[in-house]
Amino acid sequence: MAKVLRRSLSKIWLDVIYAIFLREVKSNSSDKFGIAWSVISPVAFIFMLSYLRGRMDGGDTHGVPTFFFMVYGMILVQFFLGLVGSVSTALKKHKPLYAFRQVQPISSILAITLFECLVKVFVILLIGIICFILQFDIHINDPLSLLFNLFKVAVFSMSIGVVFALATCYVPEVDKIKLLLLRPMFFISGVFFGLQDIPQEYWPYLTWNPVLHAIELTRYAVYPAYGNAGVSDLYLNVFTLASLGVALVCYHISWKQAISR
Amino acid sequence: MILLENLTKYYPSSAGKQFVFENINFTFPQGKNIAILGSNGAGKSTLFRIIAGSEYPNKGQVRTELSVSWPVALATGVHPLMTGRENTRFIGRVNGVANLDDFEKKVIEFSELGTKFDLPVRTYSSGMRSRLSFACCISIDFDVYLIDEATSVGDLQFRQKAKTALLNKKNIANIIMVSHDLSELELFCDSAVILHEGKLEFYDNLEHAIDIYKGL
Repeated sequence: MAKVLRRSLSKIWLDVIYAIFLREVKSNSSDKFGIAWSVISPVAFIFMLSYLRGRMDGGDTHGVPTFFFMVYGMILVQFFLGLVGSVSTALKKHKPLYAFRQVQPISSILAITLFECLVKVFVILLIGIICFILQFDIHINDPLSLLFNLFKVAVFSMSIGVVFALATCYVPEVDKIKLLLLRPMFFISGVFFGLQDIPQEYWPYLTWNPVLHAIELTRYAVYPAYGNAGVSDLYLNVFTLASLGVALVCYHISWKQAISR
Repeated sequence: MILLENLTKYYPSSAGKQFVFENINFTFPQGKNIAILGSNGAGKSTLFRIIAGSEYPNKGQVRTELSVSWPVALATGVHPLMTGRENTRFIGRVNGVANLDDFEKKVIEFSELGTKFDLPVRTYSSGMRSRLSFACCISIDFDVYLIDEATSVGDLQFRQKAKTALLNKKNIANIIMVSHDLSELELFCDSAVILHEGKLEFYDNLEHAIDIYKGL
């Protein structure tokens, strides 16, 4: 009979997260396209929109080549929407797994976040390779800021997803409300326009949105000539930390009851 | 042994909190194969799941040093899109099995799935899924096995196999069982716990406990 190891707490966590991560990979590669579709689909979408917009526009938007203006926006917004979407359905999706005492909701949340981040890394790599092959002029002034912004978007998206997931366990209608709230995010986060395109008196209606800050700051990090009027690094940082705090507090209070429902 | 400390469990409803049990303190003695008896809705499955760690009490905790299996019921934790092999490895990883390849061999052997083991579980019949889940549980060395009506699935041949396997386990590990089939309980268990109106009572003699249960 198979012997059971006595594992330390951290080893149990690593084993469980790894097992769920593999399960996510397997369940996403169930059809003929397999896991490649999770990478190819976003890349194709980003490329189509950015390239068409770039050709229509005539090349430049406020000092940034339009293609890259669009690409960074699309990558970040897709990351946000994808991560919030996956994490918020994580608890319901993995409900049968919680029958095992070693599997706690936080492990499925971390495993799903890890999976989404890994897919994103491949999406970005593929876009980079295609740009290189098409001989686009890739110019990144501050790569550390770019990476850091990606990380912040990952953290606050995961946090928002966790809050939605817990709320959905108590009130299933939250799922529908979530869809309603996320739809407009694609359009108002500054993917298709820059904050500079909007008159200043309307800025307060848009600058509550951390994704907007992330996108504008990323454009600024890549092409400093773009300028960072109206957005602040401080807001993004504070929002990321605050959302993480709120998510962890909500999780700590309610996870045991949330999965018992 | 398994210690229940100040355990409280209720389900909220429009008619107020429905208490399954409130502030119970109880010890499941070591070295006994215990049947959990109680009328429908008494909270047997809830208690079971709380002991297994699948569900959490509102107050209090369960304390034990023993390795306890997950509640083996129908097809827990089995993902339909993955193959039998992948599901087995998943269960093995989560439970901390030392040698996964060895574990796979044991599961194939016990479940008698043959080539189906490498096909997605959604192609299995419900009997096959239960066989896979049961085979995974029985192939791991737990100190306590929690069985929730699991020996009632499968064809005659498999039920025989499950019975034999559990009887072998009786000597080296302990079984806690929930079942409505009294003959089955008599086969595997030697003592019982009756859950009645939110109180637990241990009886060292299964026959005696069954008499009391019938009289409730």
